[in-house]
Amino acid sequence: MTLRIVKPGLQTTVQAGPRTGQRHLGVPASGAADPLSLALANRLVGNAPFAPALETTLTGVSLRFEHECHVAVTGARARAWLNGKRVKLHRTLAVAGGDELAVGPAKAGARNYLAFAGGIAVDEVLGSASTYLPAGFGGLQGRALRAGDTLAVAPISEAPEMLKTPKAFRPPAGTSWALRACYGAEVDLLDKESRFDLFDTNFSVGNRADRMGLQLEGASFGVKSGGRLASAPVFPGTIQCPEDGRPFLLSIDAQTIGGYPRVAQVARADRHLIGQLRPGDHVRLLWRDTDSAREELLAKHEYWREWLPGISTII
Amino acid sequence: MPAHDDSAALNPPVYSCGDDLVATDCADTRTAQALADHLRKSGEWLECVAGIASCVARFDLAAVSPEEAAQRMMSALRTVPALHDAEAKVIEVPVCYGGAHGPDLDDVCELLGMDRDTFIRRHTGNEYTVEMLGFTPGFAFIGGFDAARDVPRRPEPRVRLEPGSIGIAGGRTGIYTLPGPGGWQIVGRTPMRLFDAAAEPPFRLSAGMRVRFVAVSAAEFAAGHAE
Repeated sequence: MTLRIVKPGLQTTVQAGPRTGQRHLGVPASGAADPLSLALANRLVGNAPFAPALETTLTGVSLRFEHECHVAVTGARARAWLNGKRVKLHRTLAVAGGDELAVGPAKAGARNYLAFAGGIAVDEVLGSASTYLPAGFGGLQGRALRAGDTLAVAPISEAPEMLKTPKAFRPPAGTSWALRACYGAEVDLLDKESRFDLFDTNFSVGNRADRMGLQLEGASFGVKSGGRLASAPVFPGTIQCPEDGRPFLLSIDAQTIGGYPRVAQVARADRHLIGQLRPGDHVRLLWRDTDSAREELLAKHEYWREWLPGISTII
Repeated sequence: MPAHDDSAALNPPVYSCGDDLVATDCADTRTAQALADHLRKSGEWLECVAGIASCVARFDLAAVSPEEAAQRMMSALRTVPALHDAEAKVIEVPVCYGGAHGPDLDDVCELLGMDRDTFIRRHTGNEYTVEMLGFTPGFAFIGGFDAARDVPRRPEPRVRLEPGSIGIAGGRTGIYTLPGPGGWQIVGRTPMRLFDAAAEPPFRLSAGMRVRFVAVSAAEFAAGHAE
């Protein structure tokens, strides 16, 4: 079974699970920027949560199926059409050879996920099929998809059940986000006022917003590192604050080491939301101590387990 | 060592970097590497990453509490084995200094109060040790350029650097192996390919290796780059 990209959109890539356990070699996580939405799409077509799928960016994608297939779309608030006729997100769709599926621009949120029964067949590199664009590996030749690209979908033995994501398990995509966060290692390098402002600022996401990270605008913090901080490990969800006082939130493709003060760390429970932030969105950080962050993660897992039994490996 | 509210439950010198991250400061990079290697061997952690003077481990917050993780880090600190000697292998890295390949060379020279030739002579006149790979795949932190100890990072990182860019900051040399953003002061560029996902091993340099920089002309750079 193959599919062909008709319009690739701004940046459509093959994404699966993260690369784990290789940050000491400089290998970032990569993988779906919003792993929860990836898992939801895969759930609807009977795949494992991290089966390779397509991740779009802001402008959607359109593609043509060369054989029959089952597909599902999740993620950002967007419209979708099958052969020009509106279809809904969060449903298993049965498509035939020659059918064309289009996902329109994201109206809220940034990324949509298109999963195909069987999963996209691409080789794993350094332990994952996910595309890591800065180094050009994973996915399809390590790059974003172009018009005319064809992708193979792995064969399946029987057609998946036709499903709908229950309403309670459709994460809403809006333009205002709250991210729970703990202090980072160098929060004390912020002056006193900035330490308060960190959790009392209505940030907006700047135009520099991609899979590496996002500029948070709306505050200019006082930092006293003098540009000579010893480079230290950083992770997706780390908020760094360079001397220019403008905090930067690292996303799924984040580098492994950074030289700027780490002032906060988005809690694991909310890191999947980072993948849906888009320029202009509003973001507030909600302070948590690490024990509360853990309790809330366990509560979130408990909630999601009913629909996604593997939730604790997803977020 | 930073002190903050969360650390009350943790025994110093282990501190929190976030809900699923614990860290400790280390005397130097080799000590940090040794601790990260030791932690990794235990199989109890998702990631064990050394920094220049610290080590951070990520744990599975769904299975392990922050306090338990801190305790594990504490006991690892008591059992980490002594350091062994670095590998003796020396790799020559060709560098085309200045011009379009090294846009910050003149600023760095001015900061250090030396002319270009002196800078290049000093930078190529030593053997250095690769302290770690990090930042992006295969990015090499190379210590021991003490003359540049007071060179800070750029106040605002550059949005895009060419692969092979050679940066200076805080007495270290860094090699950017991939295109992408970076905040080090760029003094030159190497045509050498240091990361190849298809190769085995994919990384040309590894922690502990010895490195010597060799100055090459723009023409030699172009020839080497085309290889």
